[in-house]
Amino acid sequence: MAVNLYTFRIQRNTPREDGTLETRWQEFRVEAEPTSTVLTALEEIKGHQDGSLTFRQSCRSAICGSCAMKINGRTRLACKTHVADAVKNGIVEIAPQANQPVLKDLAVDIRPFFQRVHKIKPYLQEGDETDTNVGKSAYEQVNHVTQCIMCGCCYSDCTMAEVSPDFLGPAALAKAFRFVSDPREGAKSERLKDLSDPSGMWSCARCAMCVEMCPKDVAPMEAIVKLRTRGVDRDYHDGAGQRHALAFHTDIQKTGHLNEFTLLMRTVGFWGTLAEMGSALHLIKKGKAPSPFPHKAAGHDELKRMYEIIENNPLDVETKADERPPE
Amino acid sequence: MKSHDLIIVGAGLAGMRAALEGVKNKIDVAIVTKIHPLRSHSCAAQGGVNAAIDERDSRDSHAYDTVKGSDYLGDEDAIELMAQTAPEAILEMDRMGCPFSRLDDGSIAQRPFGGASFDRTCYAADRTGQVMLHTLWEQLVKAGVEVYEECQVLRLVTDADKKVSGVVVYDIKTGDLFPLKAKGVLMGTGGYGRVYLHSTNATSNTGDGMAMSLRAGAPLADMEFVQFHPTGLLTSGILVTEGARGEGGYLINAQGERFMSKYAPNKKELASRDVVSRAEQTEILEGRGENGAIFLDLRHLGAKKILEKLPQIRQLTIDLEGVDPIHKPIPVRPTTHYSMGGIRTDKYGASPLPGLFSAGEAACVSVHGANRLGGNSLLDAVVFGKLTGEAACEYVSTAKQGDFPMSALEQVRQQIQELIERENWGLRPIELHARMAAVMNAYVGVYRDGDGLKTAVEQLPKLRKDYKLIHIDDKSKSFNVDLLRALELGFLIDLAECIIKGAAARFESRGAHSRTDYKDRDDENWRKHTLANWDEDQEQIALSYEEVRTVGKEAYTPKERVY
Repeated sequence: MAVNLYTFRIQRNTPREDGTLETRWQEFRVEAEPTSTVLTALEEIKGHQDGSLTFRQSCRSAICGSCAMKINGRTRLACKTHVADAVKNGIVEIAPQANQPVLKDLAVDIRPFFQRVHKIKPYLQEGDETDTNVGKSAYEQVNHVTQCIMCGCCYSDCTMAEVSPDFLGPAALAKAFRFVSDPREGAKSERLKDLSDPSGMWSCARCAMCVEMCPKDVAPMEAIVKLRTRGVDRDYHDGAGQRHALAFHTDIQKTGHLNEFTLLMRTVGFWGTLAEMGSALHLIKKGKAPSPFPHKAAGHDELKRMYEIIENNPLDVETKADERPPE
Repeated sequence: MKSHDLIIVGAGLAGMRAALEGVKNKIDVAIVTKIHPLRSHSCAAQGGVNAAIDERDSRDSHAYDTVKGSDYLGDEDAIELMAQTAPEAILEMDRMGCPFSRLDDGSIAQRPFGGASFDRTCYAADRTGQVMLHTLWEQLVKAGVEVYEECQVLRLVTDADKKVSGVVVYDIKTGDLFPLKAKGVLMGTGGYGRVYLHSTNATSNTGDGMAMSLRAGAPLADMEFVQFHPTGLLTSGILVTEGARGEGGYLINAQGERFMSKYAPNKKELASRDVVSRAEQTEILEGRGENGAIFLDLRHLGAKKILEKLPQIRQLTIDLEGVDPIHKPIPVRPTTHYSMGGIRTDKYGASPLPGLFSAGEAACVSVHGANRLGGNSLLDAVVFGKLTGEAACEYVSTAKQGDFPMSALEQVRQQIQELIERENWGLRPIELHARMAAVMNAYVGVYRDGDGLKTAVEQLPKLRKDYKLIHIDDKSKSFNVDLLRALELGFLIDLAECIIKGAAARFESRGAHSRTDYKDRDDENWRKHTLANWDEDQEQIALSYEEVRTVGKEAYTPKERVY
């Protein structure tokens, strides 16, 4: 296969004595086949050009989760990404993962990420809800999320983690789903209650970035959505996220229109609404304030029928992994 | 000085399973690991784990297959213990929440594996090691075991009576060097695949624990027995599970001929690994390969089965070899995979060095003898992780803490300082590693002979001399991987010497040790373990031998291995 010359533009981060980092960009030229992995190229640079270039890696086969890094702006496993797929305008740009403190060059401090995973109690618990009868289909959902290797790609690219440092993040929530959906788990309800806290499953903005970036097809956001459904099914309604979702649901079912005028009130309550008055005035000034009068949308009857079909054919969020739309 | 009763080095399956015994027995236990536990190489095991859990199967049959697979070099007491304990170990993992693949009735699914007379390999699709590792980590978190993460142990320390008294630890994150006192140390540091050029192993598999134990006075056993996996990807050496053949995959040569029927008429692709690797190497040497590879053909299994049973393998092959196995055969070749040798222990994981224990691939118990059966390494790790953990707990509960000589810490500090300050003589660690690994692949590979091994022995003094000339670029304290790799290379050279000299001295062919100048197994003279001891005066290893532990069963009498 043809060997090409690639330019790697790598973010170098050097810790200073006072604990801060000196950041600069450095370019290296590497000969590689287009199907070589980014990791192979990095090893070539470290081995033969600059031994001080620092990054984590181990298995080389996308199963240990060590080598997640920003490759052309998105977090990927270096061992799984072909150089040809990573190059843009002749340059492969490499930086450390985001949303985590950097230790040196491309190595980040992984402890904050794992602290979030520890928070969801990442182990099977004995309890009242333990079901000892484990069928084959019961495993399909568990299997799906146990593909997670805790590489942190999803957390690094999570748009919510960027603005909300307390958010548990996609990997930890997918792990939580792994236990909630395991028939042998004894404290499913308690978990769902804990996950209903503000930093939990309702904080996800459902941008689907984690689904796109996960190198193991775990689809964390889908797990988060299923967690929410189960939480609501168990009547854990007490939270802005839940109230917001339920308000949406009620409006659409009733009229086909979202009553934005009362939505805020129903989501964050009176005092919360008061706090948002500044934004509201701003909207009124720009002529973007919603109408306070609810009215039925055209084709609402059709919508009602769709609701009926869905309610008569509920998605099985407890056991089945594959979701077929109702016939 | 910080201290623990028991320090476990390494957080793979064996290390973590042992740590849980420490918690159960209320021992002050801590794990020191150079990578986060979930990064441990146990995660890369794909195909499965053996246990006679089916009522039509038997534990005796599992033991018999393993004795035969070991080419009669495995210690029979340890093999029986493993086979007898296996079902309980797997059911325990299941109770902990390990998501094994299931049959329709909910029971744990099993698939056929090489060298086994029953389909006894439990699995979770093609990522069995990953789910077992994650499950044990969950239990480790639950138990609240103290883990020194990203901390590299650089020396096993003994007191004046030659009893283990602790370890010297290098914190990778900060560059700090510190002593850790302990009454007992358990090495669960895995194998030494990186001694070779092409390997299925992670770059972290540098056999640190074995090399440190050797230098501290413990014997390493059977180091010349290195397993070559029949299906490592041609370009990267990454593993393609034996499960691919277990699910019905064929091996074909460049002419498309399914050649295994010539070498193992009954079991064909599912003969034991040493047999299959030799067959492949013969095909390649006789000109029926292509670019040094033969092919694993899965096309006849169909897309559905491949996607259901081998999804990860398919993705890996596409990512790393550019081949979709649904449509094209995968180029593979025999690739360094597993270290049958290791720290010599009794059947409960205790080494002859008081206070030193070992389990998993780092240990030579020996349940694998001259050739390990697929599906027995994960089992070895959890079974002997538990048993060795128990034995170590018992030892430390009565042992007295020995003195920790600060000179040991000082020596390591000086070694690091010297490496960092060393002038640039123009020799990079990676270049010396490549030279050593090339010697190993050329002369201590699938086939070996006297001349080649003599050449390899002659290279050793030069490798050692040049090791003192390598230089590192990174002079900093935080996360100095450059320094670590240079230190790991030192461990690897010690292990290379054990492998080369053990192979050169063994005048027979047995299991994975196959000599073209001594083609037959010689039970009369060579049914014995090779022991490598570090000779401090000579600064090289010295070999001795030890009898295989037998239990006197008629069925275990050595006979010709036919598959």
